[in-house]
Amino acid sequence: MTRALLRSILRLGPAVFRERYGAELLAVHDERAREPRSVPARAVFACREVAGLIVAQTRYLALRRRWARRHSGAGAVGRAFAGLGGDVRFGLRTLGRSKGFAAAAIAVLALGIGANSAIFSAVNAFLFRPLPFDDADRLVMLYETNPEFGWEHAQAAPANVLDWREQVDALEDVALYSDFVDEATLILDGEPELLGIASVTGNFFDVLGARPALGRGLSWDETWEGRDGVVVLSHSAWQRHFGGDPEIVGRSISAGTETRQVVGVMPEGFAFPSDDVDIWAPWGWEQGAREQVWFRRAHFARPIGRLAAGVDATRADAALQVVVERLKIEYPETNRVMGAGLMPLRDFLIKDVRAPLYVLVGAVGLLLLLACINVANLMLVRASDRARDVALRLAVGAGRGRVARQMLVEGGLLALVGGALGLALGWIGVRALSTQRSVGIEGATEIALDARVILFTFAAAVSSALLFGIVPALRAARGDVQESLKEGGRAGGAGRRGLRTAGTLVAGQVAVTLLLVLGAGLMVRTFLELRSVDPGFTKESVLAVQFSVPAGRYDHRDDVLAFQDEFARLLEARPGIERVGFVARPPLGGQNWSSQFQAEGWPPERVGVEIWHRRADEGYFEALDIPLIRGRHFTPDDGPEAPLVVVINETFASQHFPGEDPIGQRIAYDRSATAESIWYEIVGIVADQHQRTLTEPPHAEAFENRRQDWGRTNWAVVKTGGDASSAGGAVRAVLAEMDPLIPIEAMRPMQEVWRSSMARWEFLLTLLGVFAVSALLLAIVGVYGVTAQAARKRTHEIGIRVALGARTVEVLGLVLRQGLTFVGAGLVVGVGLSLVATRAISSFLYGVEPTDPLTIGLVVGLLAAVGLAACLVPARRAAAVDPASSLRSE
Amino acid sequence: MEITPLTYEILLALADENRHGYGMIKEIEGRGGTPPSTGAMYLALHRMSAEGLVKEVPAPSDSDDARRKYYALTSRGQEAAERETRRISRLLETARAKKLGKEDAA
Repeated sequence: MTRALLRSILRLGPAVFRERYGAELLAVHDERAREPRSVPARAVFACREVAGLIVAQTRYLALRRRWARRHSGAGAVGRAFAGLGGDVRFGLRTLGRSKGFAAAAIAVLALGIGANSAIFSAVNAFLFRPLPFDDADRLVMLYETNPEFGWEHAQAAPANVLDWREQVDALEDVALYSDFVDEATLILDGEPELLGIASVTGNFFDVLGARPALGRGLSWDETWEGRDGVVVLSHSAWQRHFGGDPEIVGRSISAGTETRQVVGVMPEGFAFPSDDVDIWAPWGWEQGAREQVWFRRAHFARPIGRLAAGVDATRADAALQVVVERLKIEYPETNRVMGAGLMPLRDFLIKDVRAPLYVLVGAVGLLLLLACINVANLMLVRASDRARDVALRLAVGAGRGRVARQMLVEGGLLALVGGALGLALGWIGVRALSTQRSVGIEGATEIALDARVILFTFAAAVSSALLFGIVPALRAARGDVQESLKEGGRAGGAGRRGLRTAGTLVAGQVAVTLLLVLGAGLMVRTFLELRSVDPGFTKESVLAVQFSVPAGRYDHRDDVLAFQDEFARLLEARPGIERVGFVARPPLGGQNWSSQFQAEGWPPERVGVEIWHRRADEGYFEALDIPLIRGRHFTPDDGPEAPLVVVINETFASQHFPGEDPIGQRIAYDRSATAESIWYEIVGIVADQHQRTLTEPPHAEAFENRRQDWGRTNWAVVKTGGDASSAGGAVRAVLAEMDPLIPIEAMRPMQEVWRSSMARWEFLLTLLGVFAVSALLLAIVGVYGVTAQAARKRTHEIGIRVALGARTVEVLGLVLRQGLTFVGAGLVVGVGLSLVATRAISSFLYGVEPTDPLTIGLVVGLLAAVGLAACLVPARRAAAVDPASSLRSE
Repeated sequence: MEITPLTYEILLALADENRHGYGMIKEIEGRGGTPPSTGAMYLALHRMSAEGLVKEVPAPSDSDDARRKYYALTSRGQEAAERETRRISRLLETARAKKLGKEDAA
């Protein structure tokens, strides 16, 4: 029997020992067993053999570790890390034994680290990564300002910029480009292809410090009409449309209305001002444009400058102001109220995304903090479960440092696995983020995981390992062995001090969770407010389709109008199509252009500023159910030769004609009307629509008649009897029937236009929502853990109370009170913090204050309820305690 | 390297001749020592061979069982045995000088 026992013990032990000595050991044992012994001596012998082998095998592992150290030839430094391999193995084994704990800790960490690396990638792309230009620090964006019109970073009038270019010495050079990417149709092998065209001055590439991969860039002379028949291709357009033809330079292509010669191809990755640019072409201004008033009045070009060597942006700005003041005096008609400014390119590119990015960084930082707190708590609970074990190890002589290191190693293992998983999550998050254009900036940078992000992630992992490994480690190192043995022996729970630490952590967790949930709550309120804003038009069952009637085949105005009318007529004849109209740009898609105006008979000093313009026809108002307030719509009788008419919105009427009847008034889009002014008669007033966003109030707007202020590119709005996208097929069919070479440039249901106008909020709401729910889950785990631990520690006391006749309610209250104390403290701290912290998101809120008492109340209520629920489970378990067994558990 | 009492016992057992496992136990028992458990002895052997104190050798021609593994001291083992013996002798001299371990000292 002893032999069988020895054999099984050998089988349980390390294979190497068994293989080398197993058979021999058993043989020797057999020989010894055959020796004559008295019965008691035989029993002693058997016991000694079994115990000896167990001890031997256990020590064998320790030995192997010691040999490994010796044979690695480690010196003093090596010895400090010696045994780490064993610690790691031991750590893996202990973690493997408590899979629940390990899984929870790893999931929590992966969540925190994953979210962090994704958000940090976005931040990295926007804030830290160098721009792909030579000496990018010397690039500045210039802009015009107009306090009267509320312009802050407006596009500039070219004539002004040309003056800055020549007169501001602090600027080495200034280029102009259109940040509105135009689209042109390129006919290749009979198929129409849409290309994005950016108009630029000839020095554009030189200012950016970008060199073409093939051929040459542009020259300053080519900015002007006559020499402007040249283009530079983007790398992707070269690949996509020309198959990467190495002989492309010198080839002529027909883009838009003209034929131009390709002089160069930009390298891969150059995409400025946006990814949509396929072709950079010179503006082609006429030589005499500089002397004309429109060139100083129309603010449509984006200036970008390069600072002279050794000059900083502040000095350049000061120098610019001198020239701006001079121009005000020189050209009072156009420049009286025009200001200008400049800022580093990077600041300009991120000015709109900086705030949401910082909110995300803040939120995600809080989440990582929560994750660390939670894992620390898990570790604490675990440490107290193991307090006895640790105390035992200390008692039998294990070094305190050694025990602490073991715990740190365990923490590190969790952090490593969590970090790796987190990186995978982060990668997914980055992919999700980079498809979100609502936070993206066009062109210059892209979001991707890179070395810096990976570094950041692992820094986060390691620091959380230290954070949550060190607390239990310190407690282990400091621990009073006798005390732990006694405490652990009695209740199997943590010491009073441990409970207080855990409770403080949980209170902190509740406070942080409150911040995140409150942020999400405020975003939900904002989102609900936004959804309830009446956009001023019917968004359901309307499809918007953009296309252009190209010059060349449709040269004359009448050809274009006839095409558009025929398109509407044919489409309306299709089943399911109720109404078709045209507009230059659908609502919630931005504004077109703005101007000043004067009404006939107004004194010269009276002027209406900053009115917006859009081209539309009566079909547009009818398709979108935009109510006519007074007067009439356009009619087909308002043809190109008929008197010019205009329809205005309600805001226009109330702002500029207060107490007057605008119908029948004649207006001209000039600051002061002259003999050359073109007069429009106001024939109708329609209800307001939100032009740019739902949060901005409607702006004063005039609708010009499509048949009079005609244009080749329009959006057709198609009202259907049912689902908007069902009209897509009919639109395609009609267009193909009329001219198969005309491509559809864009097609969007108005419902989607409306939705995407809220994308920025939806994005923040989604992320904050995910963070809030994660935080809530983490908080539940935390509160539950601490309460359960506290309850377990008091099992004995509760048993006595129950034995003495305490009622269930009293026991419940006892446990709940303890758990809710932590929750309550956290809520109080959280509300206090929130009064400051929610200000960070105030610019994203709409229709709700950052300190909205209702939202705060609801969130506090929610957290209190969740906290109560988390406490209730252990409390009920405690109340169900059988006094006899709990007393016996001593 | 650490010479435990069991290590020293094995070094002594192998000092005069090569022995197999059972032989070592009998030798230790024979001179009045407490024999180790079989497991403990093999662990000690394992460690000592890893430290180069003992090695496996072929069974002598007059062996009663040729399948048995015999163990011998290496020169390092020899050295260790002598060093340890000197150390113990010095300790014994000290102990005797302090009148420890004598029957009449109690």
